[in-house]
Amino acid sequence: MEFEQRTDLGQLNAAVERIKNTIGSVVIGQQSMIELLITGILADGHMLIEGVPGVAKTLTAKLIARCIDARYSRIQFTPDLMPSDVLGTSVFNPGNASFEFKKGPVFGNIILVDEINRAPAKTQSALFEVMEERQVTIDGKTYVMEEPFIVLATQNPVEQEGTYRLPEAQLDRFLFKIEVKYPSLEEETAILHRQHQQHTSVQVGEIAPVLTSGEIYAYRKQVKAFHVEPNILSFVAKITYETRNNKSLFLGGSPRASLAIVNGAKAMAAIRGRDFVTPDDVIAVAPAVLRHRIILTPDKEMEGAAPDDVILQIINKLEVPR
Amino acid sequence: MRFFLAVLLCFASWPAYGSGNPSPVKATIEQQVAVADTSAFTARSFNERQLGEYRRSPAFIYRDNGVYAGQSLWSRFWRWFWGLFEGITSAPVTGNLFKILFWGLGIAGSIYAFLKLIGMDPIQVFTRKPTGIEVPYEESLENIHEISFDDEIERAAGVQNYRLAVRLLYLSSLKYLSDSGMIHWQNDKTNGAYLQELANTDKKEQFSVLTRQFEYIWYGNFPVQPDAFQEIRGAFKHFTGKK
Repeated sequence: MEFEQRTDLGQLNAAVERIKNTIGSVVIGQQSMIELLITGILADGHMLIEGVPGVAKTLTAKLIARCIDARYSRIQFTPDLMPSDVLGTSVFNPGNASFEFKKGPVFGNIILVDEINRAPAKTQSALFEVMEERQVTIDGKTYVMEEPFIVLATQNPVEQEGTYRLPEAQLDRFLFKIEVKYPSLEEETAILHRQHQQHTSVQVGEIAPVLTSGEIYAYRKQVKAFHVEPNILSFVAKITYETRNNKSLFLGGSPRASLAIVNGAKAMAAIRGRDFVTPDDVIAVAPAVLRHRIILTPDKEMEGAAPDDVILQIINKLEVPR
Repeated sequence: MRFFLAVLLCFASWPAYGSGNPSPVKATIEQQVAVADTSAFTARSFNERQLGEYRRSPAFIYRDNGVYAGQSLWSRFWRWFWGLFEGITSAPVTGNLFKILFWGLGIAGSIYAFLKLIGMDPIQVFTRKPTGIEVPYEESLENIHEISFDDEIERAAGVQNYRLAVRLLYLSSLKYLSDSGMIHWQNDKTNGAYLQELANTDKKEQFSVLTRQFEYIWYGNFPVQPDAFQEIRGAFKHFTGKK
Protein backbone atom coordinates (compact mmCIF):
# COMPACT_ATOMS: atom_id res chain seq x y z
CA MET A 1 0.00 0.00 0.00
CA GLU A 2 1.32 3.42 -0.93
CA PHE A 3 0.57 6.54 1.07
CA GLU A 4 -0.39 9.80 -0.50
CA GLN A 5 2.01 12.50 0.71
CA ARG A 6 0.39 15.25 2.74
CA THR A 7 3.37 17.53 2.25
CA ASP A 8 5.34 17.97 -0.94
CA LEU A 9 8.91 17.42 0.15
CA GLY A 10 10.28 16.98 -3.34
CA GLN A 11 11.91 20.41 -3.61
CA LEU A 12 13.24 20.27 -0.09
CA ASN A 13 14.82 16.87 -0.59
CA ALA A 14 16.31 17.97 -3.90
CA ALA A 15 17.83 21.02 -2.21
CA VAL A 16 19.26 18.85 0.56
CA GLU A 17 20.83 16.57 -2.02
CA ARG A 18 22.32 19.56 -3.84
CA ILE A 19 23.85 20.87 -0.60
CA LYS A 20 25.27 17.44 0.21
CA ASN A 21 26.76 17.13 -3.26
CA THR A 22 28.21 20.65 -3.17
CA ILE A 23 29.90 20.08 0.18
CA GLY A 24 30.94 16.59 -0.90
CA SER A 25 32.78 18.10 -3.87
CA VAL A 26 35.20 19.74 -1.42
CA VAL A 27 34.99 17.81 1.84
CA ILE A 28 35.44 14.06 1.93
CA GLY A 29 33.50 12.17 4.61
CA GLN A 30 31.97 13.92 7.64
CA GLN A 31 28.51 12.84 6.45
CA SER A 32 26.89 12.98 9.88
CA MET A 33 28.22 16.53 10.45
CA ILE A 34 26.82 17.67 7.10
CA GLU A 35 23.45 16.01 7.77
CA LEU A 36 23.19 17.63 11.20
CA LEU A 37 24.16 21.03 9.79
CA ILE A 38 21.40 20.86 7.19
CA THR A 39 18.99 19.63 9.88
CA GLY A 40 19.93 22.57 12.07
CA ILE A 41 19.32 25.05 9.27
CA LEU A 42 15.86 23.57 8.64
CA ALA A 43 15.12 23.61 12.37
CA ASP A 44 16.03 27.30 12.61
CA GLY A 45 18.86 26.78 15.05
CA HIS A 46 22.41 27.85 15.73
CA MET A 47 25.12 25.23 15.65
CA LEU A 48 28.36 24.70 17.49
CA ILE A 49 30.91 22.54 15.72
CA GLU A 50 33.62 21.07 17.92
CA GLY A 51 36.67 19.15 16.89
CA VAL A 52 40.43 19.08 17.07
CA PRO A 53 42.28 21.35 14.64
CA GLY A 54 42.40 20.13 11.05
CA VAL A 55 39.17 18.18 10.65
CA ALA A 56 37.48 20.66 8.25
CA LYS A 57 35.18 22.36 10.75
CA THR A 58 35.63 25.89 9.42
CA LEU A 59 35.75 24.72 5.83
CA THR A 60 32.43 22.88 6.15
CA ALA A 61 30.82 25.81 7.93
CA LYS A 62 32.03 28.15 5.18
CA LEU A 63 30.68 25.78 2.53
CA ILE A 64 27.28 25.60 4.22
CA ALA A 65 27.22 29.38 4.37
CA ARG A 66 28.16 29.52 0.68
CA CYS A 67 25.32 27.18 -0.23
CA ILE A 68 22.81 29.74 1.00
CA ASP A 69 22.29 32.90 -0.93
CA ALA A 70 22.36 35.22 2.05
CA ARG A 71 24.58 37.82 3.73
CA TYR A 72 27.53 36.00 5.24
CA SER A 73 29.98 37.38 7.74
CA ARG A 74 32.80 35.87 9.68
CA ILE A 75 34.08 36.82 13.10
CA GLN A 76 37.37 35.40 14.30
CA PHE A 77 37.10 35.23 18.08
CA THR A 78 40.31 36.21 19.82
CA PRO A 79 41.13 36.76 23.50
CA ASP A 80 41.15 40.58 23.06
CA LEU A 81 37.87 40.81 21.13
CA MET A 82 35.37 43.26 22.65
CA PRO A 83 31.54 43.04 22.57
CA SER A 84 31.46 46.21 20.45
CA ASP A 85 33.68 44.47 17.87
CA VAL A 86 30.87 41.96 17.42
CA LEU A 87 27.73 44.03 17.80
CA GLY A 88 28.83 47.42 16.57
CA THR A 89 29.31 50.77 18.22
CA SER A 90 28.07 54.38 18.14
CA VAL A 91 30.47 56.73 16.39
CA PHE A 92 30.36 60.50 16.59
CA ASN A 93 29.62 62.16 13.26
CA PRO A 94 31.01 65.72 13.31
CA GLY A 95 28.97 66.55 10.20
CA ASN A 96 25.65 66.53 11.97
CA ALA A 97 27.09 66.56 15.52
CA SER A 98 25.39 63.32 16.49
CA PHE A 99 26.24 59.68 17.22
CA GLU A 100 25.61 57.13 14.51
CA PHE A 101 25.43 53.41 15.06
CA LYS A 102 27.94 51.44 13.01
CA LYS A 103 26.68 47.87 12.70
CA GLY A 104 29.08 45.10 13.66
CA PRO A 105 29.66 41.83 11.79
CA VAL A 106 26.87 40.12 13.67
CA PHE A 107 24.43 41.92 11.40
CA GLY A 108 24.17 39.31 8.71
CA ASN A 109 22.25 36.17 7.86
CA ILE A 110 24.87 33.52 8.30
CA ILE A 111 27.47 34.34 10.92
CA LEU A 112 30.51 32.14 11.12
CA VAL A 113 32.07 32.57 14.54
CA ASP A 114 35.43 30.88 14.24
CA GLU A 115 37.14 29.56 17.36
CA ILE A 116 34.34 30.90 19.55
CA ASN A 117 35.90 29.67 22.78
CA ARG A 118 39.04 31.77 22.36
CA ALA A 119 37.19 34.88 23.56
CA PRO A 120 36.42 35.40 27.25
CA ALA A 121 32.94 35.33 28.82
CA LYS A 122 32.56 39.12 28.49
CA THR A 123 32.64 38.88 24.70
CA GLN A 124 30.51 35.74 24.66
CA SER A 125 27.74 37.53 26.52
CA ALA A 126 27.44 39.94 23.57
CA LEU A 127 25.88 37.05 21.65
CA PHE A 128 23.24 36.15 24.24
CA GLU A 129 20.49 38.50 23.08
CA VAL A 130 21.13 38.18 19.38
CA MET A 131 21.23 34.38 19.45
CA GLU A 132 18.06 33.92 21.45
CA GLU A 133 15.92 36.90 20.53
CA ARG A 134 17.38 37.65 17.10
CA GLN A 135 17.83 41.28 18.01
CA VAL A 136 20.52 43.65 19.32
CA THR A 137 19.78 46.41 21.81
CA ILE A 138 22.36 49.20 21.92
CA ASP A 139 21.99 52.67 23.41
CA GLY A 140 18.34 51.94 24.12
CA LYS A 141 17.56 51.09 20.51
CA THR A 142 16.64 47.60 19.32
CA TYR A 143 17.79 46.30 15.96
CA VAL A 144 15.98 43.21 14.70
CA MET A 145 17.96 40.69 12.69
CA GLU A 146 16.92 39.70 9.21
CA GLU A 147 15.73 36.15 8.58
CA PRO A 148 17.38 33.70 8.30
CA PHE A 149 19.78 34.32 11.16
CA ILE A 150 22.10 31.42 11.74
CA VAL A 151 25.20 31.36 13.94
CA LEU A 152 27.66 28.65 12.97
CA ALA A 153 30.40 28.53 15.56
CA THR A 154 33.50 26.38 15.62
CA GLN A 155 35.60 25.55 18.63
CA ASN A 156 38.47 23.40 19.72
CA PRO A 157 37.91 21.07 22.66
CA VAL A 158 38.17 22.96 25.93
CA GLU A 159 41.20 20.92 26.98
CA GLN A 160 43.24 22.65 24.28
CA GLU A 161 45.57 25.53 25.08
CA GLY A 162 44.16 29.07 25.03
CA THR A 163 40.49 28.16 25.18
CA TYR A 164 37.75 29.22 27.59
CA ARG A 165 34.74 27.24 28.66
CA LEU A 166 31.60 28.75 27.13
CA PRO A 167 28.94 29.94 29.60
CA GLU A 168 26.09 27.46 30.08
CA ALA A 169 23.58 30.16 29.12
CA GLN A 170 25.27 30.53 25.78
CA LEU A 171 25.64 26.80 25.17
CA ASP A 172 21.90 26.42 25.72
CA ARG A 173 21.33 28.81 22.82
CA PHE A 174 22.92 26.42 20.35
CA LEU A 175 20.49 23.94 18.88
CA PHE A 176 23.17 21.34 18.19
CA LYS A 177 26.70 20.71 19.25
CA ILE A 178 28.18 18.70 16.43
CA GLU A 179 31.28 16.72 17.25
CA VAL A 180 33.62 16.24 14.33
CA LYS A 181 35.71 13.12 14.46
CA TYR A 182 38.82 12.20 12.55
CA PRO A 183 38.14 10.74 9.10
CA SER A 184 38.33 7.00 8.60
CA LEU A 185 41.40 5.47 6.99
CA GLU A 186 39.64 5.22 3.63
CA GLU A 187 38.46 8.82 3.84
CA GLU A 188 41.90 10.06 4.78
CA THR A 189 43.40 8.15 1.88
CA ALA A 190 40.82 9.71 -0.44
CA ILE A 191 41.70 13.19 0.91
CA LEU A 192 45.36 12.57 0.11
CA HIS A 193 44.53 11.24 -3.34
CA ARG A 194 42.44 14.30 -4.11
CA GLN A 195 45.17 16.66 -2.95
CA HIS A 196 47.87 14.70 -4.75
CA GLN A 197 45.99 14.64 -8.02
CA GLN A 198 45.12 18.32 -7.59
CA HIS A 199 41.45 17.65 -7.87
CA THR A 200 40.74 20.35 -5.33
CA SER A 201 39.95 22.71 -8.11
CA VAL A 202 36.59 23.43 -6.50
CA GLN A 203 37.41 26.34 -4.21
CA VAL A 204 35.09 27.71 -1.57
CA GLY A 205 34.78 30.95 -3.49
CA GLU A 206 33.53 29.09 -6.57
CA ILE A 207 30.62 27.45 -4.80
CA ALA A 208 27.33 28.71 -6.15
CA PRO A 209 24.40 29.12 -3.74
CA VAL A 210 21.78 26.38 -3.95
CA LEU A 211 19.22 27.84 -1.56
CA THR A 212 17.77 31.30 -1.20
CA SER A 213 16.64 32.92 2.03
CA GLY A 214 13.08 32.69 0.81
CA GLU A 215 13.36 28.96 0.20
CA ILE A 216 14.78 28.41 3.66
CA TYR A 217 11.90 30.36 5.14
CA ALA A 218 9.37 28.27 3.19
CA TYR A 219 11.00 24.94 4.11
CA ARG A 220 11.15 25.91 7.76
CA LYS A 221 7.47 26.72 7.72
CA GLN A 222 6.77 23.32 6.16
CA VAL A 223 8.90 21.50 8.72
CA LYS A 224 7.29 23.31 11.65
CA ALA A 225 3.89 21.94 10.64
CA PHE A 226 5.01 18.30 10.66
CA HIS A 227 3.00 15.78 12.64
CA VAL A 228 4.36 14.52 15.97
CA GLU A 229 2.47 11.85 17.85
CA PRO A 230 1.74 12.57 21.53
CA ASN A 231 3.61 9.42 22.60
CA ILE A 232 6.69 10.69 20.78
CA LEU A 233 6.42 14.00 22.60
CA SER A 234 6.25 12.03 25.86
CA PHE A 235 9.34 10.11 24.77
CA VAL A 236 11.23 13.37 24.22
CA ALA A 237 10.03 14.77 27.56
CA LYS A 238 11.14 11.58 29.31
CA ILE A 239 14.62 11.80 27.80
CA THR A 240 15.10 15.38 29.00
CA TYR A 241 13.47 14.71 32.35
CA GLU A 242 15.76 11.79 33.02
CA THR A 243 18.82 13.96 32.38
CA ARG A 244 17.68 16.04 35.37
CA ASN A 245 17.33 13.02 37.64
CA ASN A 246 20.36 11.05 36.60
CA LYS A 247 22.95 10.65 39.32
CA SER A 248 25.77 10.87 36.77
CA LEU A 249 24.73 14.39 35.81
CA PHE A 250 25.28 17.61 37.69
CA LEU A 251 23.11 19.62 35.28
CA GLY A 252 20.36 18.24 33.09
CA GLY A 253 18.61 19.50 30.00
CA SER A 254 16.26 22.48 30.10
CA PRO A 255 12.76 22.65 28.55
CA ARG A 256 14.51 24.46 25.70
CA ALA A 257 16.37 21.20 25.12
CA SER A 258 13.08 19.30 24.77
CA LEU A 259 11.85 21.86 22.26
CA ALA A 260 15.13 21.61 20.39
CA ILE A 261 14.86 17.80 20.18
CA VAL A 262 11.34 18.04 18.75
CA ASN A 263 12.32 20.73 16.22
CA GLY A 264 15.49 18.87 15.29
CA ALA A 265 13.60 15.58 14.91
CA LYS A 266 11.07 17.27 12.59
CA ALA A 267 13.90 18.58 10.40
CA MET A 268 15.57 15.17 10.44
CA ALA A 269 12.28 13.59 9.33
CA ALA A 270 12.14 16.11 6.44
CA ILE A 271 15.62 15.12 5.31
CA ARG A 272 14.55 11.48 5.45
CA GLY A 273 11.51 12.24 3.28
CA ARG A 274 8.72 12.10 5.86
CA ASP A 275 6.34 14.70 7.27
CA PHE A 276 6.05 13.02 10.66
CA VAL A 277 8.52 12.15 13.38
CA THR A 278 9.56 8.63 14.36
CA PRO A 279 11.60 7.58 17.42
CA ASP A 280 14.57 7.07 15.07
CA ASP A 281 14.52 10.80 14.28
CA VAL A 282 14.45 11.66 17.97
CA ILE A 283 17.35 9.36 18.74
CA ALA A 284 19.31 10.74 15.79
CA VAL A 285 19.25 14.31 17.11
CA ALA A 286 19.03 13.85 20.90
CA PRO A 287 22.80 13.49 21.53
CA ALA A 288 23.59 16.60 19.45
CA VAL A 289 20.94 18.58 21.32
CA LEU A 290 21.85 17.42 24.81
CA ARG A 291 25.61 16.92 24.88
CA HIS A 292 26.44 20.60 25.45
CA ARG A 293 23.51 21.24 27.76
CA ILE A 294 24.28 18.61 30.37
CA ILE A 295 27.17 18.63 32.82
CA LEU A 296 28.62 15.46 34.28
CA THR A 297 29.25 15.16 37.99
CA PRO A 298 32.95 15.67 38.88
CA ASP A 299 33.43 12.02 39.77
CA LYS A 300 32.03 10.87 36.43
CA GLU A 301 34.33 13.33 34.66
CA MET A 302 37.26 11.90 36.58
CA GLU A 303 36.21 8.42 35.55
CA GLY A 304 36.44 9.54 31.91
CA ALA A 305 32.73 9.28 31.09
CA ALA A 306 31.47 11.41 28.19
CA PRO A 307 28.07 13.19 28.00
CA ASP A 308 27.16 10.98 25.02
CA ASP A 309 27.62 7.86 27.15
CA VAL A 310 25.06 9.12 29.67
CA ILE A 311 22.64 10.25 26.96
CA LEU A 312 22.77 6.88 25.23
CA GLN A 313 22.35 5.04 28.51
CA ILE A 314 19.27 7.10 29.27
CA ILE A 315 17.80 6.54 25.80
CA ASN A 316 18.56 2.83 25.97
CA LYS A 317 16.65 2.51 29.23
CA LEU A 318 13.51 4.11 27.87
CA GLU A 319 10.80 2.26 26.04
CA VAL A 320 10.56 3.26 22.39
CA PRO A 321 6.96 4.35 21.76
CA ARG A 322 5.46 1.80 19.43
CA MET B 1 90.14 50.28 37.99
CA ARG B 2 91.10 46.76 37.05
CA PHE B 3 94.73 47.54 37.79
CA PHE B 4 93.80 48.92 41.18
CA LEU B 5 91.82 45.79 42.02
CA ALA B 6 94.67 43.55 40.92
CA VAL B 7 97.13 45.42 43.17
CA LEU B 8 94.70 45.29 46.06
CA LEU B 9 94.25 41.54 45.69
CA CYS B 10 98.02 41.02 45.56
CA PHE B 11 98.52 42.91 48.78
CA ALA B 12 95.56 41.34 50.46
CA SER B 13 97.03 37.89 49.88
CA TRP B 14 100.49 38.83 51.23
CA PRO B 15 99.79 37.97 54.91
CA ALA B 16 98.87 34.47 53.83
CA TYR B 17 102.37 33.98 52.50
CA GLY B 18 103.89 35.60 55.55
CA SER B 19 102.23 33.44 58.18
CA GLY B 20 102.27 30.18 56.26
CA ASN B 21 105.91 29.14 56.95
CA PRO B 22 106.03 26.62 59.79
CA SER B 23 109.07 26.65 62.05
CA PRO B 24 111.24 23.52 61.56
CA VAL B 25 110.69 20.72 64.18
CA LYS B 26 113.57 18.74 65.41
CA ALA B 27 112.46 15.09 65.75
CA THR B 28 114.06 12.97 68.48
CA ILE B 29 113.85 9.20 68.38
CA GLU B 30 114.20 7.42 71.72
CA GLN B 31 114.60 3.70 72.16
CA GLN B 32 111.45 1.99 73.61
CA VAL B 33 111.69 -1.14 75.83
CA ALA B 34 108.65 -3.45 76.48
CA VAL B 35 108.15 -4.38 80.18
CA ALA B 36 105.87 -7.28 81.25
CA ASP B 37 103.00 -6.46 83.72
CA THR B 38 103.34 -8.83 86.68
CA SER B 39 100.90 -7.18 89.14
CA ALA B 40 98.27 -9.40 90.89
CA PHE B 41 94.51 -9.14 89.97
CA THR B 42 91.21 -10.32 91.53
CA ALA B 43 88.48 -11.84 89.35
CA ARG B 44 84.97 -10.45 90.15
CA SER B 45 81.59 -11.99 89.34
CA PHE B 46 77.98 -10.75 89.22
CA ASN B 47 75.72 -11.21 92.19
CA GLU B 48 73.20 -13.72 90.94
CA ARG B 49 70.62 -12.83 93.57
CA GLN B 50 70.84 -9.16 92.71
CA LEU B 51 70.54 -9.97 89.00
CA GLY B 52 67.43 -12.03 89.69
CA GLU B 53 65.91 -9.11 91.54
CA TYR B 54 66.66 -6.81 88.65
CA ARG B 55 65.16 -9.27 86.20
CA ARG B 56 61.96 -9.43 88.18
CA SER B 57 61.78 -5.70 88.67
CA PRO B 58 59.02 -4.16 86.45
CA ALA B 59 61.31 -1.24 85.69
CA PHE B 60 63.55 -3.51 83.63
CA ILE B 61 60.90 -5.57 81.90
CA TYR B 62 60.72 -3.54 78.69
CA ARG B 63 58.04 -5.66 77.06
CA ASP B 64 55.69 -5.23 79.91
CA ASN B 65 53.10 -2.57 80.34
CA GLY B 66 55.09 -1.17 83.16
CA VAL B 67 57.35 0.68 80.74
CA TYR B 68 54.72 1.50 78.11
CA ALA B 69 51.97 2.32 80.56
CA GLY B 70 51.91 5.95 79.35
CA GLN B 71 51.38 4.97 75.69
CA SER B 72 48.03 5.14 73.91
CA LEU B 73 46.06 2.06 72.87
CA TRP B 74 46.87 2.85 69.24
CA SER B 75 50.62 2.78 69.94
CA ARG B 76 50.28 -0.39 71.91
CA PHE B 77 48.32 -1.98 69.08
CA TRP B 78 51.06 -1.20 66.58
CA ARG B 79 53.75 -2.43 69.00
CA TRP B 80 51.83 -5.65 69.34
CA PHE B 81 51.21 -5.81 65.62
CA TRP B 82 54.85 -5.39 64.63
CA GLY B 83 55.76 -7.85 67.38
CA LEU B 84 53.85 -10.52 65.43
CA PHE B 85 56.25 -10.05 62.51
CA GLU B 86 59.30 -9.48 64.62
CA GLY B 87 61.24 -12.14 62.82
CA ILE B 88 60.74 -10.39 59.48
CA THR B 89 60.74 -6.77 60.51
CA SER B 90 63.85 -6.98 62.66
CA ALA B 91 65.95 -8.06 59.66
CA PRO B 92 67.89 -5.04 58.38
CA VAL B 93 66.84 -5.06 54.71
CA THR B 94 63.69 -7.18 54.44
CA GLY B 95 62.30 -5.55 57.57
CA ASN B 96 62.17 -2.12 55.94
CA LEU B 97 60.81 -3.55 52.69
CA PHE B 98 58.10 -5.32 54.60
CA LYS B 99 57.13 -2.10 56.39
CA ILE B 100 57.05 -0.11 53.12
CA LEU B 101 54.92 -2.81 51.50
CA PHE B 102 52.58 -2.86 54.43
CA TRP B 103 52.15 0.94 54.47
CA GLY B 104 51.66 0.97 50.68
CA LEU B 105 48.89 -1.59 50.92
CA GLY B 106 47.37 0.33 53.79
CA ILE B 107 47.32 3.63 51.83
CA ALA B 108 45.91 1.95 48.70
CA GLY B 109 43.21 0.31 50.80
CA SER B 110 42.32 3.65 52.39
CA ILE B 111 42.05 5.37 48.97
CA TYR B 112 39.90 2.50 47.70
CA ALA B 113 37.62 2.73 50.72
CA PHE B 114 37.37 6.53 50.39
CA LEU B 115 36.47 6.37 46.68
CA LYS B 116 33.90 3.68 47.39
CA LEU B 117 32.48 5.81 50.17
CA ILE B 118 31.92 8.80 47.88
CA GLY B 119 30.34 6.57 45.26
CA MET B 120 33.10 6.46 42.65
CA ASP B 121 34.39 3.41 40.88
CA PRO B 122 38.06 3.19 42.01
CA ILE B 123 39.06 1.06 39.03
CA GLN B 124 37.67 3.57 36.53
CA VAL B 125 39.51 6.50 38.13
CA PHE B 126 42.85 4.98 37.25
CA THR B 127 42.04 3.23 34.00
CA ARG B 128 40.29 6.29 32.41
CA LYS B 129 37.94 4.00 30.51
CA PRO B 130 34.43 5.33 29.96
CA THR B 131 32.27 3.82 32.57
CA GLY B 132 28.87 2.26 32.27
CA ILE B 133 26.37 4.60 33.84
CA GLU B 134 23.59 3.16 35.84
CA VAL B 135 20.23 4.67 35.13
CA PRO B 136 18.19 4.36 38.29
CA TYR B 137 14.77 3.62 36.86
CA GLU B 138 12.91 0.95 35.07
CA GLU B 139 10.11 1.25 32.58
CA SER B 140 7.11 -0.97 32.84
CA LEU B 141 6.62 -2.25 29.33
CA GLU B 142 4.11 -4.01 27.23
CA ASN B 143 5.45 -7.50 26.69
CA ILE B 144 4.82 -8.72 23.17
CA HIS B 145 5.11 -12.29 24.38
CA GLU B 146 2.09 -11.92 26.63
CA ILE B 147 -0.34 -10.40 24.12
CA SER B 148 -2.96 -12.59 22.47
CA PHE B 149 -2.52 -10.93 19.10
CA ASP B 150 -5.20 -12.71 17.11
CA ASP B 151 -7.91 -11.79 19.62
CA GLU B 152 -6.70 -8.21 20.04
CA ILE B 153 -6.42 -7.61 16.28
CA GLU B 154 -9.92 -9.00 15.73
CA ARG B 155 -11.26 -6.78 18.48
CA ALA B 156 -9.56 -3.64 17.08
CA ALA B 157 -10.68 -4.39 13.53
CA GLY B 158 -14.19 -5.11 14.82
CA VAL B 159 -14.52 -1.58 16.16
CA GLN B 160 -12.82 -0.20 13.01
CA ASN B 161 -9.80 0.96 14.97
CA TYR B 162 -7.53 0.02 12.08
CA ARG B 163 -4.69 2.14 13.34
CA LEU B 164 -4.47 0.09 16.53
CA ALA B 165 -4.95 -3.10 14.53
CA VAL B 166 -1.94 -2.23 12.33
CA ARG B 167 0.11 -1.53 15.44
CA LEU B 168 -0.81 -4.96 16.82
CA LEU B 169 0.02 -6.57 13.50
CA TYR B 170 3.44 -4.93 13.59
CA LEU B 171 4.06 -6.04 17.17
CA SER B 172 3.05 -9.57 16.20
CA SER B 173 5.57 -9.49 13.36
CA LEU B 174 8.25 -8.43 15.86
CA LYS B 175 7.22 -11.36 18.06
CA TYR B 176 7.51 -13.66 15.07
CA LEU B 177 11.02 -12.38 14.30
CA SER B 178 12.01 -12.66 17.95
CA ASP B 179 10.65 -16.22 18.25
CA SER B 180 12.48 -17.16 15.05
CA GLY B 181 15.71 -15.84 16.53
CA MET B 182 16.15 -13.28 13.75
CA ILE B 183 16.04 -10.32 16.09
CA HIS B 184 16.79 -9.81 19.74
CA TRP B 185 13.64 -8.18 21.09
CA GLN B 186 14.23 -5.27 23.44
CA ASN B 187 11.68 -2.55 23.96
CA ASP B 188 14.32 0.19 23.86
CA LYS B 189 15.22 -0.68 20.26
CA THR B 190 13.80 1.33 17.39
CA ASN B 191 12.36 -0.14 14.22
CA GLY B 192 15.51 1.01 12.44
CA ALA B 193 17.59 -1.07 14.84
CA TYR B 194 15.56 -4.17 14.04
CA LEU B 195 15.97 -3.52 10.35
CA GLN B 196 19.72 -3.39 10.84
CA GLU B 197 19.58 -6.71 12.68
CA LEU B 198 17.86 -8.20 9.65
CA ALA B 199 20.45 -6.73 7.29
CA ASN B 200 21.74 -10.08 6.02
CA THR B 201 18.46 -11.97 5.83
CA ASP B 202 15.88 -12.41 3.08
CA LYS B 203 13.24 -10.98 5.42
CA LYS B 204 14.77 -7.51 5.40
CA GLU B 205 13.09 -6.25 2.26
CA GLN B 206 9.65 -7.45 3.32
CA PHE B 207 10.02 -6.17 6.87
CA SER B 208 11.20 -2.81 5.58
CA VAL B 209 7.92 -2.40 3.65
CA LEU B 210 5.85 -3.44 6.68
CA THR B 211 7.81 -1.07 8.92
CA ARG B 212 7.14 1.78 6.51
CA GLN B 213 3.42 1.00 6.54
CA PHE B 214 3.34 0.80 10.32
CA GLU B 215 5.28 4.07 10.71
CA TYR B 216 3.05 5.99 8.34
CA ILE B 217 -0.10 4.75 10.07
CA TRP B 218 1.04 4.75 13.70
CA TYR B 219 3.50 7.66 13.88
CA GLY B 220 2.25 9.61 10.87
CA ASN B 221 -1.43 9.19 11.73
CA PHE B 222 -2.30 8.42 8.13
CA PRO B 223 -5.92 7.23 7.81
CA VAL B 224 -6.55 3.54 6.98
CA GLN B 225 -9.61 2.48 5.06
CA PRO B 226 -11.10 -1.04 5.47
CA ASP B 227 -9.84 -2.19 2.05
CA ALA B 228 -6.37 -0.89 2.73
CA PHE B 229 -6.40 -2.58 6.12
CA GLN B 230 -7.25 -5.95 4.59
CA GLU B 231 -4.37 -5.47 2.17
CA ILE B 232 -1.98 -4.61 4.98
CA ARG B 233 -3.23 -7.51 7.07
CA GLY B 234 -2.61 -9.85 4.17
CA ALA B 235 0.95 -8.58 3.85
CA PHE B 236 1.61 -9.12 7.57
CA LYS B 237 0.09 -12.61 7.44
CA HIS B 238 2.26 -13.45 4.48
CA PHE B 239 5.30 -12.22 6.37
CA THR B 240 4.60 -14.29 9.45
CA GLY B 241 3.46 -17.32 7.42
CA LYS B 242 -0.03 -17.37 8.93
CA LYS B 243 -3.10 -18.36 6.97
